[in-house]
Amino acid sequence: MATHVPLGDSPEDVSSLSPRQLAWRRRSDSFGRTWSVFRSNRQAMTGLTILVFFGLLALFSPLLVSVDAVDPSMASGPPNSPPIAGYPLGTDGFGRSVLSLLVVGSRVSLIVGLTATLGAVLIGATVGLVSGFYGGTRIDRVLSTLTDWFLVIPWLVLAIVLAAILGPTLLNVILVIAVTSWAMTARIVRAQTLSVRTLPYVERARALGAGDASIIVRHVLPNVFPVIFAQAVLTVAVAILSETTLAILGLGDPTSISWGIIIEEAFNAGAMANGYWWWMIPPGLCIIAVTLAFTMCGYALEEIFNPRLRRRG
Amino acid sequence: MLSGPAHRFVNRNALRLLSAAFAGSLIAGLGLTGLPSAVADSASPSPAAAPKVLRIGLTTSIDNPNLFAVNSAAEWGSAVIQNDMALKFGPDLTAAPGLATGCDPSADKRTWTCHLRDGLKWSDGEPITSKDVVFSYNFVRDKQFDYFNSYFPEGTTFTTPDVKTYVWHMKDPGIGPMRPAWCYIVPEHIWGKYANSTQDQIKAVKLFPNVASGPFVMTQANPGQNWTFSRNPYFWGPKPTYDQVVFQLYTNQEAMVQALKNGEIDIADGLDGPLLPALNAIPNVAVQKVESDFWVSMAFNFGGQGPNSHPLPALKDLNVRKAIEMAIDKQSIVDKVYPGAAQPGETIVRPLSTYWHLTVPADKVIKYDPVAANALLDQSGYTKGADGIRVDPKTGQPLHITLPTSDDVNGSSDIGQLVRGYLKQIGITVDVKPTTAAKMYDLQQSGEFDAYIWYWSGDPDPNYQISVFSTSACDGDGHLSDGCWKDPTYDALDAKQRTEFDQVKRQQDVYAAQQYVYDQIPDIVLAYPNFIEAYRTDKVAGLVATPAKVGYLTTSYDYASMVSAHPAEQSATTDPSSSSGGIPVWVWPLAVAAIGVGVFLSMRRSSNGSDEFERD
Amino acid sequence: MRLRYIARKCGWALLTLLFVLTANFFLFRIMPGDPIGLLARSTRLSPEALQAQIHLFGLDQPLPAQYVTYLKQTLSGNLGVSIISGTDVSEMLGSRLWPTVLLVGLGTLIAAVIGVFAGIKGGWTRGSGFDRGSLYSSLLLYATPEGWLGMLLLIVFAGTLGWFPAGGYASNSGSGAASFGDVARHLFLPVLTLALGYVGSFVIVMRSSMIDVKEEDYISTARAKGLNDATIRRHHAVPNAFLPSFTLIVLSVGFILGGAIVVETVFSWPGLGLLTYQAIKDQDYPVLQAVFLISSGAVIVANLIADIAYGYLDPRVEEV
Repeated sequence: MATHVPLGDSPEDVSSLSPRQLAWRRRSDSFGRTWSVFRSNRQAMTGLTILVFFGLLALFSPLLVSVDAVDPSMASGPPNSPPIAGYPLGTDGFGRSVLSLLVVGSRVSLIVGLTATLGAVLIGATVGLVSGFYGGTRIDRVLSTLTDWFLVIPWLVLAIVLAAILGPTLLNVILVIAVTSWAMTARIVRAQTLSVRTLPYVERARALGAGDASIIVRHVLPNVFPVIFAQAVLTVAVAILSETTLAILGLGDPTSISWGIIIEEAFNAGAMANGYWWWMIPPGLCIIAVTLAFTMCGYALEEIFNPRLRRRG
Repeated sequence: MLSGPAHRFVNRNALRLLSAAFAGSLIAGLGLTGLPSAVADSASPSPAAAPKVLRIGLTTSIDNPNLFAVNSAAEWGSAVIQNDMALKFGPDLTAAPGLATGCDPSADKRTWTCHLRDGLKWSDGEPITSKDVVFSYNFVRDKQFDYFNSYFPEGTTFTTPDVKTYVWHMKDPGIGPMRPAWCYIVPEHIWGKYANSTQDQIKAVKLFPNVASGPFVMTQANPGQNWTFSRNPYFWGPKPTYDQVVFQLYTNQEAMVQALKNGEIDIADGLDGPLLPALNAIPNVAVQKVESDFWVSMAFNFGGQGPNSHPLPALKDLNVRKAIEMAIDKQSIVDKVYPGAAQPGETIVRPLSTYWHLTVPADKVIKYDPVAANALLDQSGYTKGADGIRVDPKTGQPLHITLPTSDDVNGSSDIGQLVRGYLKQIGITVDVKPTTAAKMYDLQQSGEFDAYIWYWSGDPDPNYQISVFSTSACDGDGHLSDGCWKDPTYDALDAKQRTEFDQVKRQQDVYAAQQYVYDQIPDIVLAYPNFIEAYRTDKVAGLVATPAKVGYLTTSYDYASMVSAHPAEQSATTDPSSSSGGIPVWVWPLAVAAIGVGVFLSMRRSSNGSDEFERD
Repeated sequence: MRLRYIARKCGWALLTLLFVLTANFFLFRIMPGDPIGLLARSTRLSPEALQAQIHLFGLDQPLPAQYVTYLKQTLSGNLGVSIISGTDVSEMLGSRLWPTVLLVGLGTLIAAVIGVFAGIKGGWTRGSGFDRGSLYSSLLLYATPEGWLGMLLLIVFAGTLGWFPAGGYASNSGSGAASFGDVARHLFLPVLTLALGYVGSFVIVMRSSMIDVKEEDYISTARAKGLNDATIRRHHAVPNAFLPSFTLIVLSVGFILGGAIVVETVFSWPGLGLLTYQAIKDQDYPVLQAVFLISSGAVIVANLIADIAYGYLDPRVEEV
């Protein structure tokens, strides 16, 4: 194995540090360890590279492409043109550069993916933490059953039905994805919490009179957080794929350009019949790249944080 | 679904909502018609027995084949191919002989006597009599089938002096049956049983095979797939060449175009402009661009619909509306949203009604001129704020428009985005809100919008379309008026055209009403999208358009095309599916993708000499 | 013997069903606008029919009473009528069921068989060329939106190459062998899309399960006994690795049903998915509700069967 994992205590004298500093030190050490394992995983690093690329693209998209460049009324290119000088990926039906659309789309797609995931993880982590912390009680039984229900029901169908009912806005798309994709996180967080809550220092905190809420937030959450994070990274992939599905079914917001919306517009403009491959293929490839990247990073993190699963690679 | 004319028209708002909405059907839906196709799909002209089948692809579905439940474009197409009106739509959409040969008025024009043809029979062999006609008229009125019963003036009664004669008795003088009553004649011996049933019981009746008088009757239905109509042996008109007409459902237009190309269907109906390049690239395919059956508009809200109606007050200023119209590049909207398949919009009577449609005189046209639009707003006191947004001098409010767009109009959100860009140039901001047709209906009823993008479709006669802009169209629940524009001058023009019996004089009144709406701009008519039909010239011939030349080849108004269609001469054409050319275009990006994947994989593999995965 | 286990699983399934019914009930009521207003928009419903409909679902009653009425009606098979076509919703679903069962069933079967075999082989020979190839293609397929994949296949195989029809269920209304071939030709691309779209997750699941098992003590024991590799794999590893994957595969049917909506839309395949797409376009809520209900029901039943089968196959679960 090529990796060096620093497992021992740091040689410094730690006794001079305050508890808070100690906590930070512990965290940064653990981050360092994680990073070094992560870095040695080529799969994960490939994913991370792709993500950094698209992340920067999304972040700087307003600098790279002006609002006017994707304003249909300002489009100056020839409509439906294959790649030509000035339009390296051709144009859409309005004569907008497909490349510009992809750049702008990266922003919306990532925002949808990340915010929907944030929502899903907030729900999932809360349910999982509470359920795990009160493991075996009635609260746990109720929450676990709810989680199982959401795992069992066809959530993509539910997302589609919900989106159709709520109407095509960006916020609704985010909401729908968040509400339908939290269950797996909840289940994993619960399992992790169950094992964490029996750790001696949690018991000690309880003995010292800390309230449940404070124990969960101060002691359990930091320990469970890595698992939540890994799960969140995996959920982003699912969220982006779900957004694409909703968009293709006409349930996306046509005024916010995402990669899914570009595919849908190409589809509606007869891209398949007319052979506008430059319009339809690239957004799909972007989705694949980003989804793949999140999945690879997520698996790697899961392996690191959750040794029981350390065999995905 | 806009499919057709009048009836549907009456319930436009409701219909839109309900129905189909499917973009393709937008345009005239009915398209379903059929044209002849040649031999079914096998290549060999086989022995005598093989029935001749005409296959028509469409994008809406027949959910309920019952005539009285007619709603979607496909269902209207099914109604048209199977049924007769007493007097039907002729080549110019005025009355032509159908089951009846004609009607004679009394001197006071209150009584019209009509005569049926000889020897008429239903598809089950029973005779068709004047009793069937009168039964049908009374049936749709008693049961309130709105799409069919709006053609009879209040208080009209019918009598049958003999089996071949029926008479309209009206309270007031009128043209009565000569404005073709779009009400299908059904057999009393079948439907008479339901005289005491409710509307819903009637709609639930399943009749297989159907009994009707038209050239084809439905004999098989595979919901979600296809519907087969077989030739009616007792049809009174010329014997159709085809033995069967099949409506084949496709949910997306691309798939339908591929099917046309591969020879799975003979006619593709319900197509939109974006597919023209693909259609033109297929050998042996002819395209019919049907003159616009509807128009897409930006309607302004004048307020007053309800407590939640608070439109931007500046929109009441004609100069603001005029500046908006001048700032919108209609030609560009047409080119970008409906490339090659629409004309810039002008007046509120659709071009398909060639007799009534006004072409605005050149000196009265409001031309695209953003510079003049800006100047007009400057002069009118709407100065730009620091952010470049104009401010209403009276209220101090910035000019900001909330613009819902309805998803039952193809390209509506695209149009919305274009309008947003155009108005930005004159200092007006627009918030485009794509919405569903059902929600649009709520917005329209409650008045919670500043302007919206929606459509109107129409009856061949302009009466209804003109009336929806009158003051009375705003009053009451379920109002039709787009934005509750109220103008007494217009109401007078509407009343005038409604009471004029002389067609030539009425044409002038109809023109005046159109011109007035054009000048006052309660709506900006943005585009007249064409409806597109395409067929295989190597398989089908003999199709005729209704209305003549510019109209539908399929069954929107009449089945004439289905009767006259016949298989094309089988020339020595090559099988189109095998030689369509253009292969490389799609293959190479795929190849690139495949190579990319390959490289990626091999990179992965080679990089793993020391396996970072094997860490336990 | 296992009766208690089975009873518990059945109880859970019923409870889940109740949850789905309840969710469905509220789904219809959280939507913007009120349900009565929505129904009233339908010109297909006469005023009397509207009243009947309202009464049928108790929309004129307080919420708890509505809930009871709704449960009664739904459980007796009354799913209401389409606000578009006015036809009975259960009838509409019935006519669309078979094509979807065919598509999803075949697609899942193919994906599962290929996925399980590739996963077994890959997991067992972890790190081999085959393993890496199958793992990376799995990840790639997993990351591909199936709607987009379908469009691509449609263009290439139906458009450019013309090998398969562009959509629909059948071109002819024939019968017998010819009709079978006709349907098969139409079925090929949608099934391929669905299978490709989901084979990836099966490979990943089966592979990691296999890797887990490979490190169990009894495998080492078997090795120590000198059994050959193929025997160990076939008789010891595979049966144990397959069991946990089995449940996951069954659970994924729900996910595949969602994917089928897009695939059916792209290929005009006349199943529940296409019906759903049309209902979305038409805002036909009763149909959407029913689709959710029926797909949930299908998944719950599949899950129950899987649980029971699992219980028989693996005696250890009894203690769970």
